[in-house]
Amino acid sequence: MKTSLKRLVVDSATDWLYVGIFEGDKALITHYEQGKNNHSATLMPTVEKLFKEVNLDVIHIDELIVGIGPGSYTGVRIGVVVMKMFAWTLNKPLYTVSSLALLASSFTSNGLVMPSIDARRGNAFLGIYDKEGQQLTLRHAEKHMALKDALNDYPKAHHVTQGEPSLPVILHSNVLVKVDDVHLVAPVYLRQTEAERNLS
Amino acid sequence: MIVLSVESSCDETSVAISKDGKHVLSNVVLSQISLHQAFGGVVPEIASREHVKGITVVFEQAIKEAQLHVDDIDLIAVTKGPGLIGSLLVGINAAKAFAFAHHIPLIGVHHIAGHIYANQVNDEMVFPLVALVVSGGHTELILMKDHYQFEKLGETQDDAVGEAYDKIARILHLGYPGGPVIDQMAQTGNPTYPMPSINPTGTYDFSYSGLKSHVINTVNTHKMKKEPIQTHNMAASFQQAAVKHLIEQSKKAVTDTGANMFIVAGGVAANQSLRRAVFETFKDIKVTVPAFTYCTDNAAMIGIAGYYQYQQSKKHDDLSLNGASRMDLSSI
Repeated sequence: MKTSLKRLVVDSATDWLYVGIFEGDKALITHYEQGKNNHSATLMPTVEKLFKEVNLDVIHIDELIVGIGPGSYTGVRIGVVVMKMFAWTLNKPLYTVSSLALLASSFTSNGLVMPSIDARRGNAFLGIYDKEGQQLTLRHAEKHMALKDALNDYPKAHHVTQGEPSLPVILHSNVLVKVDDVHLVAPVYLRQTEAERNLS
Repeated sequence: MIVLSVESSCDETSVAISKDGKHVLSNVVLSQISLHQAFGGVVPEIASREHVKGITVVFEQAIKEAQLHVDDIDLIAVTKGPGLIGSLLVGINAAKAFAFAHHIPLIGVHHIAGHIYANQVNDEMVFPLVALVVSGGHTELILMKDHYQFEKLGETQDDAVGEAYDKIARILHLGYPGGPVIDQMAQTGNPTYPMPSINPTGTYDFSYSGLKSHVINTVNTHKMKKEPIQTHNMAASFQQAAVKHLIEQSKKAVTDTGANMFIVAGGVAANQSLRRAVFETFKDIKVTVPAFTYCTDNAAMIGIAGYYQYQQSKKHDDLSLNGASRMDLSSI
C-alpha cells in the first residue's frame, strides 16, 4: 500500500466513537470518545470538525475504512451508512474491518487478546486474536456468547473492552476486506433479529 | 430549486428529486412489505437492516431517473420523525453524509408535513385548510392558516385508524397490511353487523379502540358458537363505522374553522370508501386527496414539504440533525 494514501477510518459499533484521518499510517487527527447512545448526532459533526482541523475535504480521501461490526445494531449502522454513502457518491474504495479487530488493535503488548463488545444480558460479541508485534491474527471465529463462559474458555487471553484502534496494526494484519460492490455493504450483526429467531 | 429528499421512517426506503415544491422528477420507493408479512407487521430491527442494504441503490436510481447531476441539487430534505427510530437514523445519516460530501444544505422534515404536502402535487393549497391525516400511526386533524403553519385540532386518543384496520385484518386472517384488503372486501359486502357509535371526549379527537374491540369480540363470540363470520359483511360494517367517524370529526373541524379547503393525507387516504365520502361531504369547498402513489410513504412528499419549509424559514439544519420517534407537528 502506498504510504501517501489519505485514509478516513470510522467505527461506531461500540459506545465509543472512533474517527481518524490518516496519511499512510500516520494519524493527521483522531477522535476516540465515549458517546451517550448518540452516535447519530455526533458522528457527522465529528467528521466535519476533523476535516476542518486538518484543512482537508472528504473528496481528498483515497481510501475509506469502516468498522463493520459486530456490536450495537443501531450504532454500527450509523458508521456503515455514512461510509457506504461516501464510497458510493464520491466513488472511493471502501474497506471493511471487524470492529473487534479494531478493538484488538488497541492492545499494545503481545499475546492472545479477547476483544469483547457488550451484547446485553451477560452476553458479548467477542473474538480471539493473537497479537505479535504489529500483526493481529484471528484465532477463533468471532461469535455471540455468554461473556462468563468466554472468560472461562480463554483464561489466558487479555480481555479488551475499550481502547483507541491502531491503524498501523490494522494495515499490517490481514483483516481488511476490500468491498467490490458498495451497494451490498451491510453490517455484520452475527445474530438474526429476535423476530426471525422466534419464527424459525 | 432542485430538492433531493429521503424518507426511511418505517418500512419504505425512498429517495426522490423534485423541483420548486411541485414537479416530481423521480420518486423511487423500495418497499419491504413482503419481508414483514411473515411477522404480521413491521419488525423494526429488520426494517433498519433493510434500509442500510437499499439506501445507496435508491439514491442512485433517483438521480439517474431525474436525469440530472449532483451539482444541480440545491437542497437535501430528510424525514427526521416521527417514525421508527432505527429506520429514521439510516436515512438521516445517509442524507447527512451526502450533504457533507457535496456541500449541499440539509433540512430535517416532519413526516406528517410530508403527507400533507403530498397534495400539493395535484393542487395548490388555499388557506385556511383542514387536513385529515390518516395512517397506520396517525389519525389527526390539522389546521393550516398559511404554508407551514400547523395547528393540531385533534388526534386519536388510542389506536390510529390504520392500526385498527391491521388488527382487525389479523383476527379475520386477512394478512398484513390490513387496510387495502379490508377496503377491497368492504366494496362487495354489506354493513349487516351492528357497530357501536363512537363518542370521543375531545371536540375533534378520535377513538378507535372501542370499535376495534367490538369487532374482535364479535368475531370471538361467533367462533365460540361455531358460527361462521361473513367476512365481506364484517369488513363493510367496520369500514362504514370507521369512515363515518373520520367524516363526522372532519366536518365539525371544517365548519368551525371556516376552512376553504379539505385535504386527506397518509396511507389510509387510499381507502376507496373514505375518498368517496370526502367528496360527497365537502361539496362547497376545495377538496384534494393524494394520488395513490403519494398516499403511502414516499420521499417526493418530503421534498415538497422541505421546499416550503425552506421557503418559509430560510433555515437549514447542521450535521447534528437527529431523528426522533415522536415529534409534535405544531412545534416545528
